[in-house]
Amino acid sequence: MRNTGGDSPGQTCSEQQQLVQKIQCCLCDITKMFGYVWQYVYTSFLREYAPDASQGATRTTKAEYSLRSSRSKLLRGAVESSKDNIEICVDQIMKEKKVKPQKDPLFKQSLHTCVLQITGYGRLYTSVEELRKEVFSSDNAEHEAMLLKLWDLLMPTVKLESRLTKQWGDIGFQGDDPKTDFRGMGLLGLINLVFFSANHTEEARQVLSHANHPKLGYSYAIVGINLTEMAYSLLKSGALKPHFYNTVQGPAELQHFHQLYCYLAYEFDKFWVLEEPESIMQFNQYREKFHNVVKTQLQDPDVSLTMAVHSKN
Amino acid sequence: MGLLTILKKLKQKEREMRLLILGLDNAGKTTILKKFNGEDVSTISPTLGFNIKTLEHRGFKLNFWDVGGQKSLRSYWRNYFESTDGLLWVVDSADRLRLQDCGQELSKLLKEERLAGATLLIFANKQDLPGALTKEAIQEALALDEIKSHHWCIVSCSAVTGENLLTGVDWMLDDIAARIFTAD
Repeated sequence: MRNTGGDSPGQTCSEQQQLVQKIQCCLCDITKMFGYVWQYVYTSFLREYAPDASQGATRTTKAEYSLRSSRSKLLRGAVESSKDNIEICVDQIMKEKKVKPQKDPLFKQSLHTCVLQITGYGRLYTSVEELRKEVFSSDNAEHEAMLLKLWDLLMPTVKLESRLTKQWGDIGFQGDDPKTDFRGMGLLGLINLVFFSANHTEEARQVLSHANHPKLGYSYAIVGINLTEMAYSLLKSGALKPHFYNTVQGPAELQHFHQLYCYLAYEFDKFWVLEEPESIMQFNQYREKFHNVVKTQLQDPDVSLTMAVHSKN
Repeated sequence: MGLLTILKKLKQKEREMRLLILGLDNAGKTTILKKFNGEDVSTISPTLGFNIKTLEHRGFKLNFWDVGGQKSLRSYWRNYFESTDGLLWVVDSADRLRLQDCGQELSKLLKEERLAGATLLIFANKQDLPGALTKEAIQEALALDEIKSHHWCIVSCSAVTGENLLTGVDWMLDDIAARIFTAD
């Protein structure tokens, strides 16, 4: 390489001037380039948030991507801002990006929804994780009440003879005491089961009757707990984002997660009945197959996994 | 050359073993398998049906069959007996109430012809729980000393902490290897 250092021997004054000119020219180009880049980034930022361009998951996913990959610390931090901070956060983003609210009044509203949805997903995971980590305890009166409620909802005409009984097998628990069946899903598993039975009682009983089929049957509660695990892992991996961004116009709450569980429980039953597996021993294969079906559905930006039945609420 | 010898030679070549994990529900079978494989054990749900996992360990290819333990599934256990080299019987050391049930299921298995040649490892699991019985107490409760039909060993372990899982599996591999890979 040619040595361009100022103290190199034999270098003339005019050569130095040329060099300075060249550097100035370069700097000018770089500044211009930055100008273009900035303009592009700015307009694409606007495009991504433009309310008329897209809606639901398409819009929020783009916004989330922009915020997460932003060079600005403020924008990156926005995806984790707390509930009470969202208003301020949106204002700060607008200020940082020099977006004038008067010029585009819908922009703020649109951005606000996006940030609510993005931050809501993170908070939902935290709440779900808390419930999952809470171990079912027989010493906890609320836990016990919930368990008995599950029985009453599913078996309205049969009385539970005692707390420890083989009858639990009738709704698909493994032994005399359901408490050991919640395992790694903790209280979340029980809450999901109760939610389905309470909010879609008719469908839950219908699913239970399929589960008790002599040939095509499966353990209702244990399958339910396995489906809680499926819902949980989909949530954890971020796969549920498009579903919630499309179906909840604000932060997704626990009830929305429970609704998603209901969808899985109801759809898995249909899937199982349709597939007619040889025996319950094939459960894991069919669970994986069903899991893949759901994951494929979630690839669609317009996805909405809602039960196609009427609920009580 | 008999069929058995051919089979032995085939296995010798591949250094492959088939290991069957059984036990009552909630004994910790899936947790043992996952922990042994270095996976997260905090989000496990009850096993319906079975899980298969193939692991490489000490140059062996280990095919683990982890079958659900709930009562309604036990009648299916026999579908997994064929060509089993090692049986891992998992005991919840803190579940005193079902220890008798546990012993009965084990003795039923030991009478199975298709498990006749298998090495038996008993994991006295959940040693991390308060109130867990010692392996000596379990050895007595399950009347292990009466077993003459199988090579056996009892190892106390905790699937949650991973304590002694390797010790147990290594004993089992040594025992199986000595039996099937050193034949003629």
